[in-house]
Amino acid sequence: MHEQDSAFAFEGNWREFAPIALTNLLLTIVTLGFYRFWATTRERRYLWSQTRFIDDRLEWTGTGKELFVGFVLVVGLLLAPLLFIQFGLQAMILRGYAAAAIIITLGIYVFFLYLYGLARFRALRYRLSRSWWRGIRGGSDDQGFGYGWSSVWKQAVGFLAAGLMIPWAMCSLWNERWGKMSFGGYEFSADADFGKIMWRYILCYAAPFIVLFGGLIAMIPVMMTMGTGDGDPGAGAMVTVFAFIAAIYLIFPLIILAYYAAFMREAVGSLRLTTLDFEFTARTKDWIKLFLGNIGLVVVTLGIGIAFLGYRNWSFFVRHMEAGGEIDVAALTQSITRTPGQGEGLLDAFDVGAI
Amino acid sequence: MVEQPFTLWHYDGESGLRRTPRLIADDAGFTLVDERGSDGPIGWDALVARGTSGGEAVYGLKERPGWRLGLGGAIPEEIARRLPQPERYGGFIDRIGLVRASAIFLAIAATVVFAVMSAPRWIAPHVPPSFEKKLGDAIVGDFGGRFCNGPGGQAALDALTRQLNPKRLPLEVRVAKVPMVNAVALPGGKIVIFDQLLKEANSADEVAGVLGHEIGHVQNRDVMQALLRQAGLSVILGGMSGDAGGYFNALLSATYSREAERAADDASIAAMKRAQISPAATAGFFARLGVMEKKLGQASVALNYLSSHPLSGDRERLFADSAARNAQYRPALTRDQWEALVDICSNDPDVKDDMGWLGR
Repeated sequence: MHEQDSAFAFEGNWREFAPIALTNLLLTIVTLGFYRFWATTRERRYLWSQTRFIDDRLEWTGTGKELFVGFVLVVGLLLAPLLFIQFGLQAMILRGYAAAAIIITLGIYVFFLYLYGLARFRALRYRLSRSWWRGIRGGSDDQGFGYGWSSVWKQAVGFLAAGLMIPWAMCSLWNERWGKMSFGGYEFSADADFGKIMWRYILCYAAPFIVLFGGLIAMIPVMMTMGTGDGDPGAGAMVTVFAFIAAIYLIFPLIILAYYAAFMREAVGSLRLTTLDFEFTARTKDWIKLFLGNIGLVVVTLGIGIAFLGYRNWSFFVRHMEAGGEIDVAALTQSITRTPGQGEGLLDAFDVGAI
Repeated sequence: MVEQPFTLWHYDGESGLRRTPRLIADDAGFTLVDERGSDGPIGWDALVARGTSGGEAVYGLKERPGWRLGLGGAIPEEIARRLPQPERYGGFIDRIGLVRASAIFLAIAATVVFAVMSAPRWIAPHVPPSFEKKLGDAIVGDFGGRFCNGPGGQAALDALTRQLNPKRLPLEVRVAKVPMVNAVALPGGKIVIFDQLLKEANSADEVAGVLGHEIGHVQNRDVMQALLRQAGLSVILGGMSGDAGGYFNALLSATYSREAERAADDASIAAMKRAQISPAATAGFFARLGVMEKKLGQASVALNYLSSHPLSGDRERLFADSAARNAQYRPALTRDQWEALVDICSNDPDVKDDMGWLGR
């Protein structure tokens, strides 16, 4: 269809984005944070409009008001249980109804877990329904209530099996979520295979033991010096301990990132929309560069750089997205899915990404 | 710079096919015409500006989602002057301008923060005592059976309380078996002293300063103020991003204000003076806690008292300096009373002492 090397391209530049980012930051501060719903909307409008897919740009049509309404709804939904955990729980335990309090609290946590799943689903649906390309939008006819339960039990299975089934839970939930989404008249489908990322995961899983074991071996010479009583063990011990702590703080996030990078490649790579095949090319080192860049930016600008993180993350995402195959735009018809009325407040409350 | 020729594209919102119709305009509206037929007339006022896309201005229609008209290059004057303006920051801000809107928001924000910070001070005195008492009962109950009732202990504690309560406030002071050095004032005139604090104290005089301080909080109605402040803050900071909001909230509400702490200390010293109890003993107690803090570290759970009542040299000095050199002091409790009080928990076989729920 086109000769560009990737179907996706991000054509924005930060000088154009700066006035948006900085005024957003200003307005968010002077409104005690309430402007952030409108700020998010302005940011997305820019980012989407600078994102080319095949031969035309995306358009974001969500509004700040929708996000705000979503937020208010969530506050209403979460307020009662949170108040209970804050005050009621203590009162119940103090009065000797410990068992009842524990059961109610467990119930509330399951409810939160359910809401978390529901939130992810609905946020994705909301974003697709507000994303337009060639005058066509995405969406889903599913409300996500069933997905919420899947999310509860699949994650429970993932954790119960000593955490070894987590890749299965992540892939299976990804497939279920995207399988219910559509763009125009076409349905998405995903068949991410957890087997392909299992080795990475096992490495991630075994890492704590490896580090611990390595640490113990490293301690042996130190112990021996201390045992014989000659020389000053202080310096050696200190170096070992510091190296050990540094290893924990550096290696663990890296390994988790390595797993997550593999997961994203597998998950997006398994995504299809009719004849289009998607692909995500970011490798672990790309993610590391993104995170280090983000941290550096925020530190160097004394925090003002926070306003640019959304831009960096989006451009990272688009730069690594690819799609193959052809799409027949004449056959791409308008979506007939219902458009949700309110934004992603629920997801906002849990503070996680939608994709 | 040479102006680009006028370009026009169109999506009808029904299929993804890009069209390039001709636009035939008049005063009231326009019609789009191509080989497949025509769309219109559409009134100019039905157009909604949707920003730009690749340098081209994009317009939509309110009633037809997905319908798009893109205009690029040199837009003919007869069309350009009829097009609506896109919104920038959002309706209200666009109307009055960014600078003026920011100033207004800033003023409102300052007012809100001020109101929320100071409202508890005005509201707290008007909360009916009966309501506050019910609230206290609801929160505390019987403290999970951890209140101690060793023989003579409560009587001794009541005797100490009476001396330090010149205003005859309806107080309910209890000792709870909790292995932490702490004392808290709760709504409804309830004060709970954790028995570890009694064990660390050397005399009733040392406990008097701590108890007097908590009575000071009750007297100044600080407890209700703190509760109201916490509730108010969680509402306004709910608008902020979760993390910063929560952090702020904890910072501002976990402790009483420094002024309230100082006022409670003053009340404590005044009460001790009236009861002829020496404040010097309390200063000594604080000094010992300070030494323990250095040894155990600030985060030590056992020294809970210090996290809500930060020790400072100033506080210790305040108590030490208010001991008058030639005053006639007498012990706050008799030796027998003090012993009964210290052992109020160990002499009570029925008290519960598991503390799993406090380990959070």
